[in-house]
Amino acid sequence: MEFTLNSKTVRYEGNPLTRLVDFLREDMNLTGTKEGCGEGECGACSVLRNGKLVTSCLIPMGALAGDDIVTIEGLRETEQGKCLISAFADAGAVQCGFCIPAMVMAAQALLLADSDPDEEAVRLAISGNICRCTGYDLIVDAILLAAKRGKGLW
Amino acid sequence: MVERCYVAASLDEALKIRKETGAHVLAGGTDLMVQFRQGTGISPVFPFPVVIISSVRELDDITAGDDGTVTIGALAVPARIAESQLVPYPVRAAAARMGAPALRNSATIGGNIGNASPKGDLPQPLIMLDARVVLTSLDGEREMLLDDFILGSKKTALRDDEIISAVRIPPVSWSYVFYRKIGTRRANAISKLSLSALMRFEDGRIADFRAASGASGPKVIRSREAENMLKGLDDAEARAELPAFLDAWNEALSPHAMPQYRRNTTRRMLEHFITSALEHPQSEIIV
Ligand SMILES: Cc1cc2nc3c(=O)[nH]c(=O)nc-3n(C[C@H](O)[C@H](O)[C@H](O)COP(=O)(O)OP(=O)(O)OC[C@H]3O[C@@H](n4cnc5c(N)ncnc54)[C@H](O)[C@@H]3O)c2cc1C
Ligand code: FES
Ligand code: FES
Repeated sequence: MEFTLNSKTVRYEGNPLTRLVDFLREDMNLTGTKEGCGEGECGACSVLRNGKLVTSCLIPMGALAGDDIVTIEGLRETEQGKCLISAFADAGAVQCGFCIPAMVMAAQALLLADSDPDEEAVRLAISGNICRCTGYDLIVDAILLAAKRGKGLW
Repeated sequence: MVERCYVAASLDEALKIRKETGAHVLAGGTDLMVQFRQGTGISPVFPFPVVIISSVRELDDITAGDDGTVTIGALAVPARIAESQLVPYPVRAAAARMGAPALRNSATIGGNIGNASPKGDLPQPLIMLDARVVLTSLDGEREMLLDDFILGSKKTALRDDEIISAVRIPPVSWSYVFYRKIGTRRANAISKLSLSALMRFEDGRIADFRAASGASGPKVIRSREAENMLKGLDDAEARAELPAFLDAWNEALSPHAMPQYRRNTTRRMLEHFITSALEHPQSEIIV
């Protein structure tokens, strides 16, 4: 079975029921993707699958044939990723940081679909991502800042 | 004992595996991966063989036939259903309110039906619209009303060699339509209660009226008897009949928990929809 992970082709022959989050963290050592609840509720394990946000704790490896997976490690190498990460830092949106890689992935999924979102659209886009520290407002500001600064990138 | 897991690339392959091994279908996995999770770093273990069908591309189309019937492939996800202009409003509205954005990219309509949870959001508007499920096996296809397919909480009429391949919604028209889901919070809220309703006027009389209540009993509740009470009535007659109709609908509900809350809220929502529709407002969607 083959799929693309951060622009590289990966062949996978292991247990098809292994969760994508475990494969990323343990087999690939991509630990930017976090596991919070393991039940699809907190969003900490969010990655992009074919450009759409998904929670990697719910996805078995056997479901990935032909798919394109992007994690925070792949995104941060791109101009879009750099723009998002610097906006998060400049807006002071990062406290403990646990939720942040997934928040950035949710922001990326949003901006891929809508490069000029309003505040409501941003709040909806991160509505499945739980942050225990920031109260969300600074994260919303960060995403709006990235959209403004990154005009033309998405 | 560790059960086998298979990955199917086509519907035909999935059907063969299912027939030979009795494997359960895993589509989006959003119910099954949670139900059989073992914890961090450990792969889920299922008490039955599983066939993963996520990559069967032939099952995710949304199409409209010449007669207006809309067919939604079993692997279609809520995000796409919510966006499709082919899909009738109450189904789109329900899809748009499922889970959170990430869940709406993974959950499937086939899984929502196959799971047959009384709290599943899609069966409710689909049953109001007289949707049918298409069940495919190596012997061919059969179709049945979704309302007949879902037998009760977590129970369906799926045969051991069958896979849900699609859902068909017959053509429908309304003058006014309503969808409401009451959950606990904005994202990832499981329905506490949901309701769809529609009304069509013809020559000043109610030609069609339907409703469906979700999370108010072991399965979606529709009372055709109650619906029929309003058909054929003009505005004044419908207003006069409204209390009797509301009582009849209430009779049909069998909520398990918080029964009084569910009954009262359902009654208020139905009353709001019907009285609003009888005012003949401009907008066909009643909120
Ligand atoms: C965080 C979270 C939030 C959720 N929020 C909601 C919500 O708001 N509303 C809601 O309704 N649900 C919700 N759910 C439940 C779940 O996402 C849905 O029921 C979803 O539609 C299941 O689809 P799936 O493809 O992921 O199911 P799977 O887990 O793949 O399968 C579920 C069941 O259906 C069977 N099945 C799947 N596909 C087929 C098929 N084609 N033919 C025959 N049988 C099949 C499987 O064998 C299994 O028994 C939520 C779940 C999570 C984890
Ligand atoms: S760890 Fe996947 S959603 Fe919480
Ligand atoms: S910054 Fe700590 S959880 Fe979000």
